[in-house]
Amino acid sequence: MRVCKTCGCSDIDVDQARGSAVCMSCGSVLEDNIIVSEVQFVENSGGGSSAVGQFVSADGPAKAPVLGSGFHTSLGKESRAQTLSNGKRQIHNLGSQLQLNQHCLDTAFNFFKMVVSKHLTRGRKMTHVIAACLYLVCRTEGTPHMLLDLSDLLQVNVYILGKTFLLLARELCINAPAVDPCLYIPRFAHMLEFGEKTHEVSMTALRLLQRMKRDWMHTGRRPSGLCGAALLVAARMHEFRRTVKEVISVVKVCEATLRKRLTEFEDTPTSQLTIDEFMRVDLEQECDPPSFIAGQRKVRIQQLEQDLSQKLDEYQGEITLYRDEIETELENSRPKPRGMYAAYAKEATSRTEPESDRLSLKLGFIGGEEEEEDEELEAAAEHLGQEIISQVLPELKGRPSAGKEGQEEEVEEEEEKERRRRRWSSIEGAPKRMHLPLISILGPLPSASSLGLKDTLKECITDNGEHDDKSESGELDLEGIDEDEIEKYILNENEVEAKTELWMKQNEDYLQEQKEKEERIAKEKELGIYKEKPKKSSKKREPIQANTAEEAIEKMLERKKISSKINYDVLRDLNSKGSGSGSSPSHASEDASTTTSSAGRKRLTRRKKQPSKSNLGLAKPASLMGKRLRPLIASSTKKKRTASEAVTSPLPSPTAAATTSPEAHAAAAVPSSPPPVLESVPVEYDEPAEEEEDEEEAEVEEPCVSAIQLLGGNEYGCDAEEEEAF
Amino acid sequence: MEPGGDVALDIIVSNVVAVFRVRCHLNLRTIALEGLNVIYKPEFGKVLMKLRKPKITASIWSSGKIICTGATSEEDAKLGARRLARVLQKLGFKVRFSDFKVVNVLAVCSLPFQIRLIQFAKNNRPIASYEPELHPAVSYRIKHLRATIQIFSTGSITVTGPSVQNVATAVEQIYPLLFECGRALR
Repeated sequence: MRVCKTCGCSDIDVDQARGSAVCMSCGSVLEDNIIVSEVQFVENSGGGSSAVGQFVSADGPAKAPVLGSGFHTSLGKESRAQTLSNGKRQIHNLGSQLQLNQHCLDTAFNFFKMVVSKHLTRGRKMTHVIAACLYLVCRTEGTPHMLLDLSDLLQVNVYILGKTFLLLARELCINAPAVDPCLYIPRFAHMLEFGEKTHEVSMTALRLLQRMKRDWMHTGRRPSGLCGAALLVAARMHEFRRTVKEVISVVKVCEATLRKRLTEFEDTPTSQLTIDEFMRVDLEQECDPPSFIAGQRKVRIQQLEQDLSQKLDEYQGEITLYRDEIETELENSRPKPRGMYAAYAKEATSRTEPESDRLSLKLGFIGGEEEEEDEELEAAAEHLGQEIISQVLPELKGRPSAGKEGQEEEVEEEEEKERRRRRWSSIEGAPKRMHLPLISILGPLPSASSLGLKDTLKECITDNGEHDDKSESGELDLEGIDEDEIEKYILNENEVEAKTELWMKQNEDYLQEQKEKEERIAKEKELGIYKEKPKKSSKKREPIQANTAEEAIEKMLERKKISSKINYDVLRDLNSKGSGSGSSPSHASEDASTTTSSAGRKRLTRRKKQPSKSNLGLAKPASLMGKRLRPLIASSTKKKRTASEAVTSPLPSPTAAATTSPEAHAAAAVPSSPPPVLESVPVEYDEPAEEEEDEEEAEVEEPCVSAIQLLGGNEYGCDAEEEEAF
Repeated sequence: MEPGGDVALDIIVSNVVAVFRVRCHLNLRTIALEGLNVIYKPEFGKVLMKLRKPKITASIWSSGKIICTGATSEEDAKLGARRLARVLQKLGFKVRFSDFKVVNVLAVCSLPFQIRLIQFAKNNRPIASYEPELHPAVSYRIKHLRATIQIFSTGSITVTGPSVQNVATAVEQIYPLLFECGRALR
């Protein structure tokens, strides 16, 4: 125990009542007014007595206890404490609704503390973060709580919660074990009210689940759906009648899912066993996953289709022969072939021959197919377009000239329509896939449809159509671009008009709104109340013009309003007070500042180390603030560093001085050679300069303690200020 | 384990997204009214133009920035972009084709075996993420390639990355990992 200082005996009498410690042998008083840790009572006005003091929570603010009115005086620690206490309260709220025990809630609160310290709460709703922490705990502890439960309680989309949860798990490096559907069985079984047999039903359901796992039904599926199916079957096995609806309401999946699971299970060989057999035997064989089976089925169907189409082709081949023969016969028998179609036939046949060769040679079989499909599409689209235009024009215009044009177009159109019709009918007869031989089968292709053909032909023939400038200077390299096709993308005048009308009609509402808005703005302008468009406040503000670092920081802080708690006087005093090795360098540096500022640049002078350090401390929140400020601060710090670097760099005159006592000769160096320094400033930002600066900072630690104490705390204070800023 | 030779997997590139600029201000209304196959969305401030060959959908903003989606290969995307610029040129704008960059490539690949997702997720703990409640696939991110792979239990995987080369490399990288947790086909 304690030893008396005078006599050295250890026999000390401590009297709690008087609050004193006295040595029993020599009688010297060792302590007076010992702080007593007993509860004191005070009498109220009403006669009762109440305890003196306040309750302080165990895990509240660790350092400064909350004073009575302390919310505004102390320095920003409050914010963190508030956040944590708020979070704790919410965790307890939610957790009790989920019936989580205290241990889980404490763990959740620990997670929350970690999250806050990693600044992951920023930009996220507190409730989401809390829910994610709770769910993390549920997963690590293995409680039967689903994310769906949480989202139910909070009325939030489950995927949003899931996103937050995944992010937190990743940031905190917590590996949540995968969800096992077996966890949910007891919970759901209980909710389905099986009475005494709950346990047996659960066991059966578990066995079913194991079987499902083996049959690959559970990968990629929601565990709750599987549970639902397993429980349903188990209930039926034990002669409990539970309808699908009841199960759904407990398990929270939809009916379709449940039915799907049941059918999948039905497809497995296990479903063929009787109940007794199932309980006894476990089939060795495993099944493929259901989606895999579905995929296989698709593949098989495709295969079948291919076979079918091949067979069809074969038959088509035979049919063509017959058809050709018949046609030749007919032609021979008839005196004259159908007038214009013959012409087309000649054209078409003469075209299709070289074209087909070319197509097959150059573009390959599949390419050829696509080309033809494209042509069809193009032709069809043109046709439709023309239809629309011809309809729109007479309706909307109603002018004779337009009518005439319309008529002309209609005449053209009629012909086209005819061709289309023939084409479509012939196409319907043929199988879905267009193969090259079909061209000959179909007979004379309408030549108008070879509008598309013409282009592709052109492409094939004129390979390198247009060689314009290369795209080095940003000019468009037109190699391989087909002009004509692109021409088609641009409507001619009539079409433009028609489209304009259509579009105007369609978007009337929007245009109306725009007009009204403009009118409103015009009115307001007249009245002079015109508000600038409140769309997005542009982040580009003017860069701060300042002569010294402190001014710059002050202005920036004012603008950004980090905290009204910063005592600017202290800030200013930092520079003059904190300099332990005399104020002359600082004076000199200020002189230097005036001389160099005359250079006209927004440059920060060489500062003393510790003010720069504390400035850096304050500058840190600023740098976190936004990109805009970062260059300012970065540039300022860089310039500081480069100023120091320039100082410490082996300049001819101040070499020795620089290395030994850079601070003392800083000012001397700077004014002696500002111009060369300025030039070399942007060039190098080397590590050595920074390291030296750090070392020097370390050296000058002691004198600056007072300044930092003035700020009221250590780094933690700075961090808290960062908190407030956001 | 798979022998270290080249796997004969066919990686099918299904979508290539590219952006480029035309370096001039575009009047969306003109484009909307004079172009074929365009949809004007004034609320979003952009025009959608669909080209038929190559099959491409482009979102055109008035600032001159254009996003081009739907191509099946990088060359296709470039060709489509140039065509689009040509159309705009013909409409009367002073376009200069610049800053063409492929931003995203989506490919699908079908592996010949199934995959045990839970085991795979366990083996590759922090990088792979599997949440059956949210999404049926395991999502695996390769940071240095900036590629994301989604792995389904049937063995089909989808890969997205910034270029076709990246995508191919990603598939090569992930194949051995998948093979370990795979289940041979029957």
